[in-house]
Amino acid sequence: MELLSNTVALSRMQFALTAIFHMLWPVLTTGMGIYLVIVEGLWLKTRNADYYYHARFWSKFYVLNFGIGVATGIPMEFQFGTNWAPFSEAVGNFFGSVIGFEASWAFMLEAAFLGIMLFGWERVNPIVHLLSTILVAVGANLSTLWILTANSWMQTPAGGEMVDGKFIVHDYFQAILNPFMVNSVLHMFFATLETSLFVIGGISAWYILKNRQSAFFSKSLKIVLAAAIAVAPLQIYIGHLSGEQVYHYQPSKLAAMEAQWQTTPAGQPADWSLIALPNDKAERNDWEITVPNALGYILEFKKNLSEPVRGLSEWKPEDRPHLVGLIYYAFRTMIAIGFFFAGLMLLSTVQWLRGKLSPENISQQRWLMLGWIFAAPLGYIAVESGWIVRCVGRQPWTLYNQIRTVDAASHLPASNVLVSLISFATVYTMLFIAALYFGSRIIRRGPNLELPLPELEITKPAVDTKPGRFVPDERPVEAEQ
Amino acid sequence: METLEYFLPQVWFAILALFLFLYVMLDGFDLGVGILSLTSSDEERRGLLMTSLSNIWDANETWLVLMGGGLFGAFPLAYGTILNALYIPIITMVFGFIFRAVAFEFRELATRKFFWNIAFGAGSFVAALSQGFALGSVLKGIQVDESGHFIGSTWDWFSWQSVLVALTLIQGYVLIGSTYLVWKTEGELQETHYKTAKIAAWTTLIGAILITITTPIFYVSARSRLFQQPLVYVFAIIPLLGVWLIWQLLQSLNRKEERAPFGWTILLFVLTFIGLALVVFPYIIPTKITIYEAAADPSSLVIMIIFIGFLIPVMLFYNLYQYVVFRGKVTGGSYGE
Repeated sequence: MELLSNTVALSRMQFALTAIFHMLWPVLTTGMGIYLVIVEGLWLKTRNADYYYHARFWSKFYVLNFGIGVATGIPMEFQFGTNWAPFSEAVGNFFGSVIGFEASWAFMLEAAFLGIMLFGWERVNPIVHLLSTILVAVGANLSTLWILTANSWMQTPAGGEMVDGKFIVHDYFQAILNPFMVNSVLHMFFATLETSLFVIGGISAWYILKNRQSAFFSKSLKIVLAAAIAVAPLQIYIGHLSGEQVYHYQPSKLAAMEAQWQTTPAGQPADWSLIALPNDKAERNDWEITVPNALGYILEFKKNLSEPVRGLSEWKPEDRPHLVGLIYYAFRTMIAIGFFFAGLMLLSTVQWLRGKLSPENISQQRWLMLGWIFAAPLGYIAVESGWIVRCVGRQPWTLYNQIRTVDAASHLPASNVLVSLISFATVYTMLFIAALYFGSRIIRRGPNLELPLPELEITKPAVDTKPGRFVPDERPVEAEQ
Repeated sequence: METLEYFLPQVWFAILALFLFLYVMLDGFDLGVGILSLTSSDEERRGLLMTSLSNIWDANETWLVLMGGGLFGAFPLAYGTILNALYIPIITMVFGFIFRAVAFEFRELATRKFFWNIAFGAGSFVAALSQGFALGSVLKGIQVDESGHFIGSTWDWFSWQSVLVALTLIQGYVLIGSTYLVWKTEGELQETHYKTAKIAAWTTLIGAILITITTPIFYVSARSRLFQQPLVYVFAIIPLLGVWLIWQLLQSLNRKEERAPFGWTILLFVLTFIGLALVVFPYIIPTKITIYEAAADPSSLVIMIIFIGFLIPVMLFYNLYQYVVFRGKVTGGSYGE
């Protein structure tokens, strides 16, 4: 087969495979870090032991995901050198520095304070512990900031120019604040948060449905819901802004996302294709359902476009993204999930306001709980789809309009890459299965509500001694021992 | 500007050397403990060994990620060329890391622990072995064209010299792992690691002597450097100091001291590192590409000093704080609830 001797194609597949797998784990830890800060804060504020047990229970998922996240993340960094050496050399001035920033600002912070967060309950005072949890969450989210900065810069390289095949930076802050940066960071930030919220919500719903500690888990579900009320609509809005950016900065990607083969000139309405069968070879859709004039409203909130929507046929085949069908459907999958999340959030909020989510009633909300369980894996699918749109849609460029993917790859014997690719595929599949197995084991065991509470005297007495709140013991005298 | 172009790459060479040293020292004992876990007689001991690392293994490994990121940003040419040349050892090391990292969590959750025990021990061994091969082949020399791109072949990294370096590095890791365990454990487990420390001290010494003898004989490029006028005295002192340190180490092991052996081992690592840095400097790909040729644009190096350099004391501080929080002997074979 030709593919098996094509180093560039194999290196691309290896990068895609490792990135798709790696992504699964930090998506959860990044969002869940914020959730853990919330429950630990509630525990310190209310002294309600339930929140302490929530913090301990969900951190088990945190550490499971974190370990695999680290293990699968290290290959990502090294692959730039092993498989993409020409790219590394050309963009090291900026891209390499940012990878260094991620390690020093984000990764080290998270790694160092994770130990205290997991094992330090009895060793540091509660405020230091909360601070450690906050720093873990900050570290994880700073990773998002730097990695998305690096990736956005690959999409919209700014702040310098290519000189003799090397990118020379003239203005670092312009490069960091490249056109895609702010919205991409926010879009990913909300994506990790939303994914984690719906995972936590889905697992909580499972316990509620099983009638296992429903009162305990209705608490986590409500925290999740309260957060989702803000996050789900915001994510749709940020997603829309990101789409607009693609329209302006990466017209060939937008054409692939919307399967537009022919250019619609400015001043005219454009139809929006709802479902289609894109055909790369014939440069058209074999079959489609379109909504008349809708694309103009989606992109510019008006019927007639002020900028043209360029069709894929405008570019030579070697200058435009391939796999149009993949990009097109990945994009639609992501959007559908985003709206499903918002719908589920709305429905749950209505039920909450009607008092149906109280600990006594919540177990009867069978369909709603099933909806939450169904939602648990969807965030992952949305995130992966979004990245496929982002990175497959960027092709044939590694650095948009500057460095082609074929020129970015190391010259390696194809057999080496083939062997490493197969090894990654095997090992990562194994890790995935093991993680599901061990994750479900954590779920089946449930939270440990027998754990002794950490000593709280360090900050203030566990028993509130303020006057006026004394509740007399109404038990018979014999029980008072 | 002229001075900046000399000064900045030197600063980054020093920073990366610091990161690499911290990595080799910290993940060194980490990997050493992992290798030693292969010899553990029962699950309880293995549990203790892993508990002694549970809160720090990840931060220790991060120094390598930091070194990689720093090298990528500060010397992009070297990053691309070295990693390209070392494709097989680097990918193998990564797989070693994967298995040992997930073993921490999976072993704890698994009812049948055998597979994850092996994953932890063998993963540590494979990671250490690959690092040894990488170091050995960088020292031996990577084939590059005039613009610094790798032109050698896939198996260049495999030679008897790199085998020797790899085996010695593993011994060094086992040594620092043993002395770490002497410090962190008590009772029978501590006794065992007094023994492994002694054995490793001898095997490391033998490896070091072999490397010291063969380097000037077989590495033509290193020879001229080693016998350069003022430096030759430094290079003569280093092995003598090394032997003295090993002697001190063996003495403190015989006296059953608890912390001193770890301290002597660290000094031994420092000494080796100074020796290595002197042999390599000012090259980043030994005897082919200097740090000045591989360096990123001066403006990048300045920005990186601002964004990374000033964080170094902060990172050192909170890493140290971690060790303070978890000071004392390791007890209990469970490393997570």
